[in-house]
Amino acid sequence: MTPSTSKVGSIADAVALIPDGTRLAIGGFAIYQHPMAVVRALIRAGRRDLTVVGTVNGNEVDLLAGAGCLKRVETSYVGLEKYGLAPNFRRAVEEERIEVVDYPEVLSFDRFRASQENLTFWPCDYLGGTDVLARNPDIRIFTCPITGRSLQAVPPADPEVVVLHAIAADERGNVILPRRHLLPQGLDVIMARGCDTVIVTVEKIVPRALVRRHAEQVQIPAYKTRLVVEAPWGAHPTAVLGRYATDDAHFRDYVAASANPDGFAAYIDRYVHAPADHAAYLERIGAERLGALTELDTL
Amino acid sequence: MSGSHHTPSAGAPTLAETIAVSLARSFSDGEVGFTGLVTGDAAALFGTSIPLAAMALAQAMHAPNLTILLAGWSHNPDLQSLSVMPDSEFDAALRDLPCDAQMMTYPGPWSIRRGDIDFGFSSGVQVDVVGNINSVCIGDPTRPKVRLVGPILQPEHMTLFGREYVMMPHHARRNFVERVDYVSGVGYPGGLEGRRRLGLHHGGPEWVVTPKCIFDFDKEKGRIRLRSVHSEADLQRVVEQTGFDVDSAGVPLTAVPTQEELELLRRHVDPKGVLLGGYGIG
Repeated sequence: MTPSTSKVGSIADAVALIPDGTRLAIGGFAIYQHPMAVVRALIRAGRRDLTVVGTVNGNEVDLLAGAGCLKRVETSYVGLEKYGLAPNFRRAVEEERIEVVDYPEVLSFDRFRASQENLTFWPCDYLGGTDVLARNPDIRIFTCPITGRSLQAVPPADPEVVVLHAIAADERGNVILPRRHLLPQGLDVIMARGCDTVIVTVEKIVPRALVRRHAEQVQIPAYKTRLVVEAPWGAHPTAVLGRYATDDAHFRDYVAASANPDGFAAYIDRYVHAPADHAAYLERIGAERLGALTELDTL
Repeated sequence: MSGSHHTPSAGAPTLAETIAVSLARSFSDGEVGFTGLVTGDAAALFGTSIPLAAMALAQAMHAPNLTILLAGWSHNPDLQSLSVMPDSEFDAALRDLPCDAQMMTYPGPWSIRRGDIDFGFSSGVQVDVVGNINSVCIGDPTRPKVRLVGPILQPEHMTLFGREYVMMPHHARRNFVERVDYVSGVGYPGGLEGRRRLGLHHGGPEWVVTPKCIFDFDKEKGRIRLRSVHSEADLQRVVEQTGFDVDSAGVPLTAVPTQEELELLRRHVDPKGVLLGGYGIG
């Protein structure tokens, strides 16, 4: 018998799939469960001119914006929730270093549904009178052939690459979601289903036998994934639901450092450039801090 | 609350209580109300805590079948079990807060385009005379002076929900302008007829609630108007601190809560003062 193909690779393999200029969707939501190990590696590799197409974005876009990796962002939100505005994104937009295309939140979800269904547009009827419509030449007006109403055709998200972070997958690339998940994990699945190059970093690569005992929790089957990377604590400083909490102190330090470009430069020197890889990053954060963030989901 | 030295019925209504009661009276039984999870002191109070208290009060009074959507996804959360207001939309604390139903993916339990949501609460840095709101930027959008978070769910709030309560935590001239710098949520440009011409046949802003007053709209004309002020002294302040002309003639005071409403708010809805900061605190 011929063995099945392993999809397991490294963070460097992930970065190689995301060249300069890639149209990229990054899993997670606001300040929750982003594939931060890959985000840091993209900065370390000096990636430029990326377009991030998203739904609700947070510190992952702020970090890439501050590091000069982004050309364009299409989303409904970039912010840090209780930690305030996204300081580096804000600076980059105000200095006209990044182009932002604003989409309403639900429509930003629907753009990925359009990609999942391989549609050329998603129909919408509620953008009249907004600057979302007035300032976006990619949204076209058309007449509904059934009712004759004037509608808006919204372009699909169509990411070239999706990268997201999950709790577990097997070597073949079957990805497990926690039974008790929330919208951020649900949206990751929609993103993954609308793209042919899906990279999943996971807390743990687990035996196929374990996956088969929890098959009802596999929302992204192996044939949808291109690459699986084991990256324990790979979402730090964001949370992974059911595994570890947001690193509140790290977020506060990040926001304080980002008050000016010099402070941000010192931050990325310390947490992105100086550590050679993800393991070195975790060493820098320290076992004591990481251990304190652990959450016990079930007993 | 045995052992408390407070007397729940004592004390004049606070501003937060007065606003919560006005909102509660405007909700109908069977409606579905949607609130986000706003953070930061005044913003959280206006954007999340007052709306939650208002909806829970309505449930206790005349609307037992009203559905509260906390953060848009937790259906009828057990607010009384909270010891602090949640400040993260999608963490384990909110996941584990007992509730009737949870939204685990999109599309989820509610169908936003079918009109499942009867009313919502939103906010912005600017609101203008026709009721447009803005959470995207200050200044020319092509080269903004201040870039803010983005439109988020405002376009949907202002068109797909049955009606919208715009909750403004601060009342200053820079927040109440002739014309917003970016329309992220649309009001009544050209009145209801203007909205129809834009293809909008549903929803729109109902009230704009501030620490000094409540505005509503002449929807036919498409013009904001003063509905009530929270105190006599606020009348002059509203005129001075609003960036567009306000007709203050004959404007009444915001309705005062009844004793029953206050007791329900203080004893039942918010016994620990988690939502409204405790009675007696202005």
